[in-house]
Amino acid sequence: MDLLLQRCFDGMFTGAIYASLAIAIVMIFRSTGLLNFAQGEMAMTSGYVALVLLTGSGATVSMFPVAGTGFASTWVPFHPWPTWLAILGACVFGAAVGALIERFIMRPLESKSTLSQVNVTIGLLILLNGLTLQIWGPFVRVFPSPFPNEIDDYALIGGARLRFTTIGVWVVLLVVIAALGMLLRYTKTGLAFRAITSNREAAALVGVPIGRTLTLGWAIAAAIGALSAALIGGAIVLEPLTMMKMLIYALAAATIGGLDSPLGAIVGGFIVGLTQALVPGYLGVPTELTLLPPLAAMVIALVVRPHGLFGTVPVSRV
Amino acid sequence: MTYGADDQLFELERLNGDESVPADPADSTQQRWWQKRATIGWIILAIAVAIPPFITNDLQLNRLSRLVVLALAVLGVNLLTGYTGLISLGHGVFVGVGAFAMANLIDTGLPLVLAGLGATVFTGVIGVILGLPALRVRGLYLALITFGFALGFPPLARRLGKLTGGVTGRNVSNDAFSPPSFLGLDDHVQIFRYGMCLVVVAIWFFIAHNLVNSRVGRAMRTVRDNEPAAATFGVNIPYIKAGAVGISTAMAGTAGVMQAILNPYVSHVDFDAFLSLRLYAAAVMGGLGALIGAVFGVAALILVPTLNDIAGLLDNDAIVFGAGLVIVTFLAPNGIAGVFQGKDDEAEGVSQR
Repeated sequence: MDLLLQRCFDGMFTGAIYASLAIAIVMIFRSTGLLNFAQGEMAMTSGYVALVLLTGSGATVSMFPVAGTGFASTWVPFHPWPTWLAILGACVFGAAVGALIERFIMRPLESKSTLSQVNVTIGLLILLNGLTLQIWGPFVRVFPSPFPNEIDDYALIGGARLRFTTIGVWVVLLVVIAALGMLLRYTKTGLAFRAITSNREAAALVGVPIGRTLTLGWAIAAAIGALSAALIGGAIVLEPLTMMKMLIYALAAATIGGLDSPLGAIVGGFIVGLTQALVPGYLGVPTELTLLPPLAAMVIALVVRPHGLFGTVPVSRV
Repeated sequence: MTYGADDQLFELERLNGDESVPADPADSTQQRWWQKRATIGWIILAIAVAIPPFITNDLQLNRLSRLVVLALAVLGVNLLTGYTGLISLGHGVFVGVGAFAMANLIDTGLPLVLAGLGATVFTGVIGVILGLPALRVRGLYLALITFGFALGFPPLARRLGKLTGGVTGRNVSNDAFSPPSFLGLDDHVQIFRYGMCLVVVAIWFFIAHNLVNSRVGRAMRTVRDNEPAAATFGVNIPYIKAGAVGISTAMAGTAGVMQAILNPYVSHVDFDAFLSLRLYAAAVMGGLGALIGAVFGVAALILVPTLNDIAGLLDNDAIVFGAGLVIVTFLAPNGIAGVFQGKDDEAEGVSQR
């Protein structure tokens, strides 16, 4: 029982992070009908920016110096920043990158086929991954956790350890969802965003600024993604492959929940996190194959319910 | 499908604006053969592939051969994504399956050709089994699943130690791959193997050429362009899709077979997600929906690392492929092949959901 609870807690922790990246993917899919394969790598680049912001010039992280800290100490005021501020900075950086990608890469392709647009996001995935590898190297970095993360920072519940980082990540996720929900519900920009989601042409006709709103949407999605990278970096490690695996988990989460449903993304993240925590332990799947249970869950979900648990089933016209 | 339905498919394709289908097949014969750009292209290609044995050493030629056979994997991606509209981000997996299957079949003592054919067929069967969800899932979702395969394969291969050699990889006993004595190439084993790769690649291209110009090829393109319309015309969609997946993955399997022949040592690290992404990038850059695109694509796979080695600029040439994919989508939606064919209209669509 303790073990079951412990595994559930572990699954809830990673699940929350998958959910946040999944929300970013869902946001873009809802408004543009596009799966952004570069979401994970955009987030990872931001994660490395956070690492640069919080590392002192010339200091080493996990035995290797971090490229760019010298530059940052010259140009960034009060560098190195505390962890929280660095994560915030990374979110701002991520938002800027997201906005630039939308404005200068995705928008000119708006009239092109979905295949062209997907190809560009795949190209960005490869490009950003290569750039990260080129700049910061293939080393595995320990990223400081923004929450109390000492060995005895946990609450004992039913014999299982609920770590403060887990609680922290869930609080962050809830705050993000609440903020996003309020933004969409109570602000004019949110109204515009919802209008674009439900009927783009009609929205344009009544004067909704489509381009500006979509740029903002990409910026917000990228900022949420950046947050997820910083949080997973604090929990596991940061290396150039981290976010590619994360992307698959997040895509699995978004797919299981339904690609156009934010609620589905959260539930899906939870399901993927728990699958990953529970299945290897109970079914004897070796730990190095933790990628397979979520993948299997995704394939099964797609075959059984192609539009996910909470997604809308489209009606296609001939 | 009856002959009449096939004719209608042909017509439908033209209505969908596919320029490659001539209104009247007789039109294409009006030029003399030496005036056609394609002929000149083939001559240049023939000269290009004949040069390397004279200017490289054995090691370089071996490396080159291993890249040349990747043309088959790129062709596989092209056939699946460009002709059938099923995005595959996981063809590196099938190169891996083919290589490991070949290594194991060699150990059973089968003759070389039989082992190669066996590994190819085996890979195609695995491809169809893994591709079964593809019969239900469309467009982007398939990209997602195949990307998952690409990421999941290396750890799985690491785990299946008996077949794959586990973490360290495994040896392939490739003593048998020596030239027959009547060729007089006993001192030039690598040249023989390079030639063998070219022959195998040429055979698959010939098969692919016949396939895409056949009734099945037209059905594939119609499934890509308009699935409901294809169904209306009597195309058996699951059958066409499964067949395309099978052929396409079998091609990638042959690429793996040749890798195992050329490299006496195969390991899971050779077949990671980046191989799959590279293959996809190469297929798109070369040009989807045109067989010659795979040739341009593999040329990129060969030239980018080579030029990067010479220039010594980047630790990681993935940057070039990523940037190339973005730039090509902007400037030449039909890839390099599209530039040569004068096709600069939009790439063919994959349905959104």
